[in-house]
Amino acid sequence: MQDTVNMAESEFDEEEEPPFSDQEDFVDDIDDEELLEDVLRERPLEADGIDSVVLVDNVPQVGPERLEKLKNVIHKIFSKFGKITNEFYPEAAGTTKGYIFLEYASPNHALEAVKNADGYKLDKQHTFRVNLFTDFDKYMNISDQWETPEKQPFKDFGNMRHWLEDPDCGDQYSVIYESGERTAIFSNDPKEPILVEERARWTETYVRWSPKGTYLATFHQRGIALWGGEKFKQIQRFSHQGVSLIDFSPCERYVVTFSPLMDTKEDPQAIIIWDILTGQKKRGFHCESSAHWPIFKWSQDGKFFARMTQDTLSIYETPSMGLLDKKSLKISGIKDFSWSPGDNIIAFWVPEDKDIPARVTLMQFPSRLEIRVRNLFNVVDCKLHWQRQGDYLCVKVDRTPRGTQGVVTNFEIFRMREKQVPVDVVEMKESIIAFAWEPNGSKFAVLHGESPRINASFYHVKSNGKIDLIKMFDKQQANSIFWSPQGQFLVLAGLRSMNGALAFVDTSDCTIMYIAEHYMASDVEWDPTGRYVVTSVSWWSHKVDNAYWLWTFQGRLLQKNNKDRFCQLLWRPCPPTLLGQEQIKAIKKDLKKYSKIFEQKDRLSQSKASKELVDKRRLMMEEYSRYKDSAIQLYNQQRELRLELRGGVDTDELDSNVEDWEEETIEFFIKRILISRYFRKNILCTREIFS
Amino acid sequence: MWDTKNVLTGSADNSCRLWDCETGKQLALVETNSAVRTCGFDFSGNIIMFSTDKQMGYQCILNYFDLRDPQQIEDNQPYLSLPCNESKITSAVWGPLGEFVIAGHENGEINQYSAKSGEILKVAKEHTKQINDIQSSVDLTMVISASKDCTAKLFDSTNLEHIKTFKTERPVNSAAISPIMDHVVMGGGQEAMEVTTTSTRIGKFEARFFHAAYEEEFGRVKGHFGPINCVAFHPDGKSYSSGGEDGYVRIHYFDPQYFDFELEA
Repeated sequence: MQDTVNMAESEFDEEEEPPFSDQEDFVDDIDDEELLEDVLRERPLEADGIDSVVLVDNVPQVGPERLEKLKNVIHKIFSKFGKITNEFYPEAAGTTKGYIFLEYASPNHALEAVKNADGYKLDKQHTFRVNLFTDFDKYMNISDQWETPEKQPFKDFGNMRHWLEDPDCGDQYSVIYESGERTAIFSNDPKEPILVEERARWTETYVRWSPKGTYLATFHQRGIALWGGEKFKQIQRFSHQGVSLIDFSPCERYVVTFSPLMDTKEDPQAIIIWDILTGQKKRGFHCESSAHWPIFKWSQDGKFFARMTQDTLSIYETPSMGLLDKKSLKISGIKDFSWSPGDNIIAFWVPEDKDIPARVTLMQFPSRLEIRVRNLFNVVDCKLHWQRQGDYLCVKVDRTPRGTQGVVTNFEIFRMREKQVPVDVVEMKESIIAFAWEPNGSKFAVLHGESPRINASFYHVKSNGKIDLIKMFDKQQANSIFWSPQGQFLVLAGLRSMNGALAFVDTSDCTIMYIAEHYMASDVEWDPTGRYVVTSVSWWSHKVDNAYWLWTFQGRLLQKNNKDRFCQLLWRPCPPTLLGQEQIKAIKKDLKKYSKIFEQKDRLSQSKASKELVDKRRLMMEEYSRYKDSAIQLYNQQRELRLELRGGVDTDELDSNVEDWEEETIEFFIKRILISRYFRKNILCTREIFS
Repeated sequence: MWDTKNVLTGSADNSCRLWDCETGKQLALVETNSAVRTCGFDFSGNIIMFSTDKQMGYQCILNYFDLRDPQQIEDNQPYLSLPCNESKITSAVWGPLGEFVIAGHENGEINQYSAKSGEILKVAKEHTKQINDIQSSVDLTMVISASKDCTAKLFDSTNLEHIKTFKTERPVNSAAISPIMDHVVMGGGQEAMEVTTTSTRIGKFEARFFHAAYEEEFGRVKGHFGPINCVAFHPDGKSYSSGGEDGYVRIHYFDPQYFDFELEA
């Protein structure tokens, strides 16, 4: 320093640079933090090791002879997450205590271990619990002061089951019309629909009811909204840009939304599963195509949901949303699967593979036990049809028998409620157009043949092991079968191209109760009680005559409701009945007593209706007559003016100028009748007798 | 004309012609710049009106000629000429005493145009789509308008008060008021271009009868193969006729039950 200063002071040359050094006693006033912030940030921390330690609980307690084996197993499992630098197996009284400490090379590895190994099932009795050691610290240091969590304002949506309390037991249905501009909710009444709620632009595309009828879901560009309660307030909103399809879990706890827009590699967002009550996003999934929606199929109790991908069946459990047993099922060639609507059983089928025949398998969950396997030969295709209560499974098998060219169809009927699930086969001679099980029953209906010779057959699966063909109707104009949700009755409909032909059938004795037509009908919907059927012509399929018609289950037409550009009608589902079997039996026994009361009520309301109508008409006639009287008065007053305008000629009545009329009688030849002499005589004789 | 001596016709050949009924001889010709949509004699038979379409740059105009002054026809100089700027006239009839013309427009409006001053005396904005036809009752006290909005409405001729509405699901092309009963008949169909997409079954186009006071439909008559374009009651009220797109004119005489029929009231 000294030198430099001196140098500067003394032989200072003009060209030399000015001094850059600080003065001798200079102390800078900048601290390290400010100057070296970015470098200091990366300063290696003293590893006190605690952040990289994990505590694993529920480890088997072993004696010294098996300790080595245990350590190997633990090592194998836990070294997947990083390098284990240290391990400690506390012991007491000769065995390990059941929990161990593992130290990793870095805290990140410890975090990985917690994330992935927590919940790992080593064997039946040991499921690991893995926690960061530091977490214990955290929990130990919780403040002794209890801080009340902030109270969220209570959102009272009212009675969510309000619609079930309608004194007249009218079921509700949603109607979308004006090509989607208006959505309305009506309460069904045989006389006339009663409007409950109507909103413009309530949904941007269409609506869906939740499986028990609690929520109405509407679609919007930004996601879906759920509405419910007496006033249809907004219960919940789920943000999923571009959502196009949704599905509810049967228990109404979860809703699954799909949007083709939202999918990235890191954060799969094409399918999202939401918790309805909390509004939380539970899990997101990739989805290549939504061709077969719903992609995720729910078990009947909402405990599991599953999806099929190439050669794989993945089953997830709720509420964790994780894979059951942490792994998917490898099923080579799996083509299709579906849950039983009555039990946690999945039916799936795989096609032929070289020497191994095609087969249908029934597997129970969560045990993964194969309850039944059925081999099928020369299979072209299979379709799975479950009966509503899961009592039966029908597998429609299309086969090409060896040595032939054509395709033959069989129905393999699995009797789920019988021991070892026996299978019966029904052979069908013609190609199948439609198949449907009777809900609550053991019959099924089939439409088969080729237009115009379409036949409807009804089969009964009897408990004695036989499947009887009860009846066949030929030359039917039908392409769809609609069973009443309560069973016994159904509607055979020829929708769309078949011009809306309808046949109402009672399957207890297989009679056609009524044949009718709703020209160009595109949809048929039964109400949840099975009392009414709605047929409709949707604007989405036909641009004219858009309306929905209400029929009784016997085929009596009650109402024709025209709605400008009517699009869709959906009945609001009912939650399952709260009545027990005994109570239902008791009600059926006393039905006569109840019928009397209801009939009286109906009669009163009928006469009230006709009385109302009659009164209304009387009023309208009075009003109209009054108007006409005043108009006639004016007309009479203007008589002079009229005569003047027509030069005195009175034209007020058609026959005002009868004098001007000429009457002419014209006779002309109509017909010649030849009467033979014989008849003439007869006529003369009879005349004499009767005169 | 009221004494059935003359007939007035208007055509898309851009002319309005007056004829002698008995001989068929053309008595007068008025040339126009665009198609003549509607025309008629007033109550006295002395004044004629016709409206021209909005076409090829020409306005819709309502013209009045006084036949007592032959010079007007000769010089093609109507004594009153009213342009309609917003919406063209689709159908029109004279009022009861020849004081005004009741005209229906493409936008569903019905206006009363004075035959003397040309001013708009009354307006009725009840229909939401084009008026296809307007007809008067036999005593001219009421008019019925048939509209593309699938309804027909009854109005008082003098003050254009809206009295009744008759609703259907198809556009109404024409409507008429019975001279002797409280009935109206309506005929319609759908857009010509949509015909092939609806019922092609034989005779599925119907004339529909409504009770004028109750606004309720009580009967239909099938028979036409295509949309019905025009309906009219016979002046004695015992029959009616309908003309359709299928090229047929049908005349129906009513059964005795028609005259006895009553809705419970």
